[in-house]
Amino acid sequence: MTQTTMSSFDEDLVRAISSSLNEPEWLEKARREAFREFVSSPPEKNPLYTKYASTFDFPIEPFRMVPGRSEVDFRSYFKGFLTGNESDIMLQANETQVHVDLSKDIASKGVKLMSFHDALHEDEALLRKLVEQRLVKSEADKYAAFVNAFFNSGTFIHVPKGVVLERPLRRMLLLDSPRTAVVDQTLVYAEEQSKLIFLEELYSKGPAGPALVASTSEIRSGTGAHVDFSSIQLLDDQTTHVSNRAIETVNDSKATVSSLVLGSSVSRSRMNFLLNGRGCFAEGYEIFFTDANQRYDFETNLVHVGQDTTGSVHARGVLKGESQSIFKGMIKITNAARNSRSYLAHHAMILDRTAKSNAVPSLDIDNNEVKATHSASVAQIDEEQLFYMMARGLPQDEAKKMVVLGFFEPVLSRIPIEQTREGARFMIEGKWQGAKRRLVDRETLLAATGEITPEVKQTEDIFERHYKYR
Amino acid sequence: MAYTLMGHPKYQVTSGQVLIDGESILGLTPDKRAKKGLFLAFQYPVSVQGVSMFSFLRAAYNNSRPPGTEPPTIFEFKEVVAEKLKMLSMDESFLNRYLNEGFSGGEKKRAEILQMALMQPKFAVLDETDSGLDIDALRIVAEGINKVSGPETGTLLITHYQRILKYVKPQFVHVLFQGRVIESGGEDLSRLLEEKGYTWIKGYKEEEQLAQQGA
Repeated sequence: MTQTTMSSFDEDLVRAISSSLNEPEWLEKARREAFREFVSSPPEKNPLYTKYASTFDFPIEPFRMVPGRSEVDFRSYFKGFLTGNESDIMLQANETQVHVDLSKDIASKGVKLMSFHDALHEDEALLRKLVEQRLVKSEADKYAAFVNAFFNSGTFIHVPKGVVLERPLRRMLLLDSPRTAVVDQTLVYAEEQSKLIFLEELYSKGPAGPALVASTSEIRSGTGAHVDFSSIQLLDDQTTHVSNRAIETVNDSKATVSSLVLGSSVSRSRMNFLLNGRGCFAEGYEIFFTDANQRYDFETNLVHVGQDTTGSVHARGVLKGESQSIFKGMIKITNAARNSRSYLAHHAMILDRTAKSNAVPSLDIDNNEVKATHSASVAQIDEEQLFYMMARGLPQDEAKKMVVLGFFEPVLSRIPIEQTREGARFMIEGKWQGAKRRLVDRETLLAATGEITPEVKQTEDIFERHYKYR
Repeated sequence: MAYTLMGHPKYQVTSGQVLIDGESILGLTPDKRAKKGLFLAFQYPVSVQGVSMFSFLRAAYNNSRPPGTEPPTIFEFKEVVAEKLKMLSMDESFLNRYLNEGFSGGEKKRAEILQMALMQPKFAVLDETDSGLDIDALRIVAEGINKVSGPETGTLLITHYQRILKYVKPQFVHVLFQGRVIESGGEDLSRLLEEKGYTWIKGYKEEEQLAQQGA
């Protein structure tokens, strides 16, 4: 992707999007700055990873931006995707059409769940502050710059100080038009001592054909706050998905991100955990299951800046067919982050000889008083396990299914959000059988499966387990 | 030998037969052999991370039940397995662990006998089930074997030692040497072996051979 082929994504388009959304001048200026980064950046900036970049690159020209589409009827558009019992949900049809349903008891506490541009008109000062202090920097990544320049939609969540939400807030994006580009920004701002669970779901409606979903997500977990975020990506197999996430934890706060990637053709994900305060926690659970010709490229960085911080990333995936993945993981501990603990692990299972998985885990530690562990493995299914299970009467297919679904468990079972945990199992099993299943509530899950198998809880301390620290 | 009977893909049978009720099982995959009523208690049970003992036992149980019968519900199965656990003095927390993962030697062997108890095979081959067990674990495992074996289940116990035979009383004892049964007898034979050692039996077998050649 070079500047000369960028005919459709130019500075005129930046202006056109900004004016069609009635944006203030400062925002248009911020977009143009991001645009300049986008044009001048190579697809992969980090020399550690450039050799893998070509496998996961994609052409951006076929996608177009269509601002100002006609209104859709949400009820019929989302038919089959909702049970009717949903509340506290933001529905997004393609790039601009948004419908929000927020229950009164939550809204009355001052909680906001709305589109970026509605929020911009409601509280410009706050949005300006968040945009000007972006966590997902345009300089860091070409696709982050792309989103910052061209975003045509977005989500804003604000949980005021001390407000504890027990029920999750949800956002569902449903795509139905080929050749479109949904470029969105999600800003989550959980203030001091608040608590938030946020579920994001990305789906395509029927065969959508080539489309692009590019997004940035910024999650701020304030002092003593706790944010659990989960993202489920089941886009059409002709859709390209690019995501850039940054999760900031400050003093005594906690944030977890659980990500399930099942869909899309090419998917590129970057996630930065910024452990900026003292005594904060950040955890990432990244699960993928690819087949056919899918490509999944994900980078996850744990950046410890504060003292006494704890960060962990557990990534696990299974690859079938000719699919390929690359995991780029980095633990960075600054000199100030004394007494911090960090854990990074990636394990992949290859089911066909034609599938491929790579991992590049790295450490960058500027401090002696830390515990840091990283590990990575790529393996095939274990024949001895299959033999053992078959010796107990399980046909080969059933034994294989158990081993493969079981492979996800050590990470899956740690996901803190029950609905995501149970839903992810249901969806992964669906993919194994060649069925597209979506995240469902417990009632629907019970109706579909008849029962929920008891779980094995993970209790061991990952930091104590490592041989170095026994 | 135990792996070969069960159909491990690494072993190829170049001559001889394995028959169950007169039918050869050599062309069958391990799961089909299990359905014919053959069971193997592994010397080194394999662990499978992420697969709970409960789910696995249930799958094994469902696959061993006679064709045409309804599989038990999750609650019915819980009762079935609770009874077997009790029989083997095993705690129910076993079920909430990953299959053999992090099990001690004794736990692994007990889990094998638990599976045998659930599947109720016609023929059970116990491959050195007594190895790696301490005294208490040996007694518990042996008692388990006694409870599960009976007129419906014939048990072939492969062992190098006499000590498990203190608890498990064999009806027949066969001595296998270099792939052949060189001596058969009752329980007395194992006691004689324990007293005199394998060299004794090797020695008198050689004498017999010489005598035959001389005659």
